[in-house]
Amino acid sequence: MYREILTTKQTSFHCGVKVPRNFRLLEELEEGQKGVGDGTVSWGLEDDEDMTLTRWTGMIIGPPRTIYENRIYSLKIECGPKYPEAPPFVRFVTKINMNGVNSSNGVVDPRAISVLAKWQNSYSIKVVLQELRRLMMSKENMKLPQPPEGQCYSN
Amino acid sequence: MAENGESSGPPRPSRGPAAAQGSAAAPAEPKIIKVTVKTPKEKEEFAVPENSSVQQFKEAISKRFKSQTDQLVLIFAGKILKDQDTLIQHGIHDGLTVHLVIKSQNRPQGQSTQPSNAAGTNTTSASTPRSNSTPISTNSNPFGLGSLGGLAGLSSLGLSSTNFSELQSQMQQQLMASPEMMIQIMENPFVQSMLSNPDLMRQLIMANPQMQQLIQRNPEISHLLNNPDIMRQTLEIARNPAMMQEMMRNQDLALSNLESIPGGYNALRRMYTDIQEPMLNAAQEQFGGNPFASVGSSSSSGEGTQPSRTENRDPLPNPWAPPPATQSSATTSTTTSTGSGSGNSSSNATGNTVAAANYVASIFSTPGMQSLLQQITENPQLIQNMLSAPYMRSMMQSLSQNPDLAQMQNPDTLSAMSNPRAMQALMQIQQGLQTLATEAPGLIPSFTPGPPGSTGSGGPTGPTVSSAAPSETTSPTSESGPNQQFIQQMVQALAGANAPQLPNPEVRFQQQLEQLNAMGFLNREANLQALIATGGDINAAIERLLGSQPS
Repeated sequence: MYREILTTKQTSFHCGVKVPRNFRLLEELEEGQKGVGDGTVSWGLEDDEDMTLTRWTGMIIGPPRTIYENRIYSLKIECGPKYPEAPPFVRFVTKINMNGVNSSNGVVDPRAISVLAKWQNSYSIKVVLQELRRLMMSKENMKLPQPPEGQCYSN
Repeated sequence: MAENGESSGPPRPSRGPAAAQGSAAAPAEPKIIKVTVKTPKEKEEFAVPENSSVQQFKEAISKRFKSQTDQLVLIFAGKILKDQDTLIQHGIHDGLTVHLVIKSQNRPQGQSTQPSNAAGTNTTSASTPRSNSTPISTNSNPFGLGSLGGLAGLSSLGLSSTNFSELQSQMQQQLMASPEMMIQIMENPFVQSMLSNPDLMRQLIMANPQMQQLIQRNPEISHLLNNPDIMRQTLEIARNPAMMQEMMRNQDLALSNLESIPGGYNALRRMYTDIQEPMLNAAQEQFGGNPFASVGSSSSSGEGTQPSRTENRDPLPNPWAPPPATQSSATTSTTTSTGSGSGNSSSNATGNTVAAANYVASIFSTPGMQSLLQQITENPQLIQNMLSAPYMRSMMQSLSQNPDLAQMQNPDTLSAMSNPRAMQALMQIQQGLQTLATEAPGLIPSFTPGPPGSTGSGGPTGPTVSSAAPSETTSPTSESGPNQQFIQQMVQALAGANAPQLPNPEVRFQQQLEQLNAMGFLNREANLQALIATGGDINAAIERLLGSQPS
């Protein structure tokens, strides 16, 4: 049903133009399903029936030549009512050891991640995921020892 | 909002350019949908029935991407698709894209799988003697705990973890380095029950892809495997180590008889090349070489090959036992306690030779080697033939180019080796150090900085050592570069006791690491692991590194 609504809207993330939240999120939903990007991140609604388009799941494929290589990291992203004016809440589900991620519950600290700290309404879930992946490749993160694969945070 | 009027024919998300796609894509009615599968490297389109399951989808994908279905991980809209789900369940419609990650076996992973790996390796390497002893009588490989069974067993145990091959090779080396452990394992009732099940053993062997290739090339092998009598017999033998030794000896004798027949040597060589070489080469990656490499070298010199090449000899302990090095330097320093530089260097040389001597001694103690020696003494021509074989010659050449071997050519080394009393002293030292290792293993890692000091404080090695301790404290610092490195390697090897495969991987692969760095592989750890796994082979290491990344 969202798809009909989507067809009525053209995409544009022009700065300054305030795009209604749901339209934006629907667009991101479509992008997530179409696999826009290089295939190293993926995102979608956590629950397809979620009318509020609030809860999203994301997936980051660990970049090669890092300690995260070949691992698949699952995330939960929550787009609040003020999205896209306000940044989403991002939390890792799969355990990870990385700067800016709380090691006990996987919450991504918005002050530590630049796209979240300096959020712009043209940013999107894709941007957040790609930025997190880019951070995995940074010198400070790429060799951090990681917990065994497949472990998840308990909350 | 402006384009409110733009209605959509098919109920699909479609914008301007996508409209064409929308019309090209069939409406939901027909069963076949086109789904794009995207990996970080490539992208393929698949036409599958709309109601197919993820499992079926994976099967189609695995053909196109040339991987196993269980290596595939499909992701859609941020969720991992499980095999029992359907595409519809996840809302995968026509024209949408699914992400694919192909897992490779050698993923760096947590060590939690290691214990299970250990158990697996134990049982499977117990299975290897059987797999080698029967079938091909030409395969009289006295050192032959080939890895084939091991590989098969592990894969059947479904361990796809960590540095798979490295873990495995480490485990097997550890196993083979300790005859007591081997005995324990063989006596383990579980192992015995497993061994007594010929079907299971056959499955284990067949599961190994290299074995499968071998079988394709040589159908006789499959006959052997399928013959239950032979299987039973080999299992009996495998369970009974004494009987196995007997069998080995018989085979060796038979071989030597064959050899004496005119033209027999050629026939033997042919058999080796056709059958045994592929089998042994199949083990190459793990064990770093043909066991016969070490046979040739051991009979010619005191074993100069790098430790990694010799791991598949079963009861042989660590080739370069480090403690002898440090101990010998301690004891010899008592004689030269004035601390002359030459005294130190000779003690270091002796240290090297100790390891060699130990290794030689331990080689000689294996039953296979004993039988070989027996034959050798009976028939000197045998050695001659072996050494003159073309394949042997090429091995020798590569051995002589081995930089480690250069240490063996040190004249001091040679003279020390030919001195029986020195050898004896070194043996004692080694024993002492082994005792130390068991009693105070904690001291051993500290050997590297100040070997004799810690040894002295350790104590159980004898008065000479402890008295030498203070005087020797200064000498290690004056060791020449390569010698110190060598000793460090040996110390590490003893301390490790489990992974004697590489004296000092970083040092050894220094050159290769630099090359990999220059090529753009910046992850030093991954490079090192790859180099270790491939035994220093840069090309294979590169393939490994490339193969294990998704992008």
